[in-house]
Amino acid sequence: MLVFNQLETYLYLALILFAIGLYGVLARRNLIAVLISVELILNAAMINFMAFNRFVAPHPAVGQVIALFIMAVAAAEAAIGLSIIIAVYRKLKAINVEQATELRG
Amino acid sequence: MGFNIGSVDPLFLACFAIVALPALAFGTIMIFTWRRDNLSLGISLTCSTIPLILAWWLFFTVKGATLAEPIILQVNWMVSDAVVVPFGFHLDPVSLLMLVIVATISWLIQIYSIGYMEGDPGFARYYADLSLFGMAMLSLVSASGMVQLFISWELVGLASYLLIGFWYEKFSASEAGKKAFVVTRFGDIGFYMGLVFLLYFMKDISLFGLGIADINNIGLTQKLTEAQITLCALLIFCGVAGKSAQFPIHVWLPDAMEGPTPVSALLHSATMVAAGVYLMTRLFPFFAASATAMAVVLAISTITLILSSTIGMVARDIKQVWAYSTISQLGFMAMGLAAAGLAHGTLFAGYYHLTTHAAFKALLFLCAGVFIHHFGTNDFFVMSKDGGRKLMIPMVTVTIAALALAGIFPFSGFFSKELVLAQLWHLDNKLWVGLGLFGAFLTAYYTFRVIFVLLFPRPDDHPAWQTYYVREEVAGHGHGAHGHEEEEAHGSHGHGGHGDHHGVPWVMAFPLIVLAGFTLVLGFMQTRIEKFLLGESHPHELNYLLLVLAVGCALGGIGMAWLDWGRARANWSGFLSKFPMLENFFIQKWYMDHFWRWFLNTVIYGTFSRIFTYNDRRVVDGGVDAVALGTIGSGRLLSFIQTAFLQLNLLFMVLVLAGVGIYLLMGR
Repeated sequence: MLVFNQLETYLYLALILFAIGLYGVLARRNLIAVLISVELILNAAMINFMAFNRFVAPHPAVGQVIALFIMAVAAAEAAIGLSIIIAVYRKLKAINVEQATELRG
Repeated sequence: MGFNIGSVDPLFLACFAIVALPALAFGTIMIFTWRRDNLSLGISLTCSTIPLILAWWLFFTVKGATLAEPIILQVNWMVSDAVVVPFGFHLDPVSLLMLVIVATISWLIQIYSIGYMEGDPGFARYYADLSLFGMAMLSLVSASGMVQLFISWELVGLASYLLIGFWYEKFSASEAGKKAFVVTRFGDIGFYMGLVFLLYFMKDISLFGLGIADINNIGLTQKLTEAQITLCALLIFCGVAGKSAQFPIHVWLPDAMEGPTPVSALLHSATMVAAGVYLMTRLFPFFAASATAMAVVLAISTITLILSSTIGMVARDIKQVWAYSTISQLGFMAMGLAAAGLAHGTLFAGYYHLTTHAAFKALLFLCAGVFIHHFGTNDFFVMSKDGGRKLMIPMVTVTIAALALAGIFPFSGFFSKELVLAQLWHLDNKLWVGLGLFGAFLTAYYTFRVIFVLLFPRPDDHPAWQTYYVREEVAGHGHGAHGHEEEEAHGSHGHGGHGDHHGVPWVMAFPLIVLAGFTLVLGFMQTRIEKFLLGESHPHELNYLLLVLAVGCALGGIGMAWLDWGRARANWSGFLSKFPMLENFFIQKWYMDHFWRWFLNTVIYGTFSRIFTYNDRRVVDGGVDAVALGTIGSGRLLSFIQTAFLQLNLLFMVLVLAGVGIYLLMGR
């Protein structure tokens, strides 16, 4: 019998999300897309936490607390990321990652 | 823990009020009423009158407090491990008497200052500072532990600094304040180290918290080794020497005369500088336990006595003369205590001299203040020319005080000086008593130099003036400069009205009369005070030889002064002018100021400062610079990693992390 509601399902889901996010971060040139991809990675991690919490952890609240915590961090990170993007835009008139070459050694 | 005011010991409450009220006055005036002169004056006067009444009340009513068994009222202020630092009051005859002296003289001087400081732009600030001083001094006197005493000691120093530099817009005044602060602090380093050592040694015999009674008990029971006591006593004496202006750190006191004259009377002659001698009295059993320390103290105070008397002989600023006489009398008190410590005597002689000195020296300064206020100069030759002797009340009282200072019967100084000399007489080495007598001779001489010049003015064409002007050029850059500066300061500080009033305002005359009364009476209170202090009065065997010698020295000094300065044919040159080198040596104040200047330049600036500057430049700054440069350099070195391909970096990061993860998971 095919059981969907088990740990592995969620781990695969998280793996897929993480891979998509990683691809986005590495391949996209648009900074906003990079930022969104980072959010995907974070969500993948969050799903991992929830899954392990649901199927493994004895205490039901621990993983959820971490998930909430990640949400808060993600919000803060998005705010900072967006402001960096705005600053980059003001400076370069573009949000293309490849044009940010100021620090080249 | 409930706190019910009714359950508190009324004695504690009284002591607390004595200390707290002036502090309250200081705070109130500084924060709220500093714009309003009369209100500030009222607050300050109220807050010094109540302590005055309470101090006298304590003096007459506290029974059963003896030197051996004082009444100690204290609470634990700071608890750290086994060390419990108390805060409270140590009532015994010594502190009760000193409380009365301090409260009375500060009250009289607050009254006097109403007249003296009238119209000064800093009137309220002046009274705030006086209140601060009152609080600190009263707390110092009644402190039950050395920590509290040390805190008050420093607060007194602060008040002194504020009051010396009261006319801070005058450069010399702010410099003098700074000098007083730094020089006394120099001694206080020793004091502080002494306390630290004492705490350390006392810990071994399980006495904690530096209670004064404990320290004195050590002296009596010899629980510490003599070397330990000597070390602590000598270090504490550094503080005493700073505060009481003993050689070689006396140099701040003459400069402290830059402050308003009532301040000089209160702080720099009668009470604050006596704090050093008071501390010696306070810890007398402890000090007396070390003969070595007492011998050092005796030597230093004798040098002080001779040095300052000789400088007093050539000063021409009236306040300078009294300042040097203060130093010499403080030396005299310390001699009395040290001699008593060496010869197993009692603290009475030195302490009694402190008591009488407080009255007549405050009187001398207040009289000088009247003259300065009236004539707008510090130079007593000019005062004499302008008719100083026409001011009846100050002239009479200054003469009384001068007679007391010179040690003439029946004025108080005679009795106390006699006792100190008797203490010195008991020492095996008669050199000390000889030097003491010599000091007494010089004291009488320089005191009556001032009195005779004031009493017998010379017409303008008298040959004496020629010596005066010649001398003015010789001493031009020395102490002569002081007088004129103060003169200017007074002119600019709203004392312009002195041409108008011919008499002395009663607020200024009243303290003079009261203090003159004390000067007359205190001598005859000798046995009573002795009984009060020691619990018993030793029959004072009269040593006729010493008596004759002492009176002879005093009268000889006065006679000499008459020959040099008083009689009609005297040409105001003084017997010293026969020895020009010696005279110049005295005019240059034994080159002590030069010595300290040299010391500062070579030792402090030339050596320590240079080492520290080098350390600062090379080690501290250099270290910081090296770190910064290293960061920049390594940044340059590693900057090739930054390729400007952000995502390439990310890819590497992911790959490395993945590698690490795989290693950690599979590798084992």
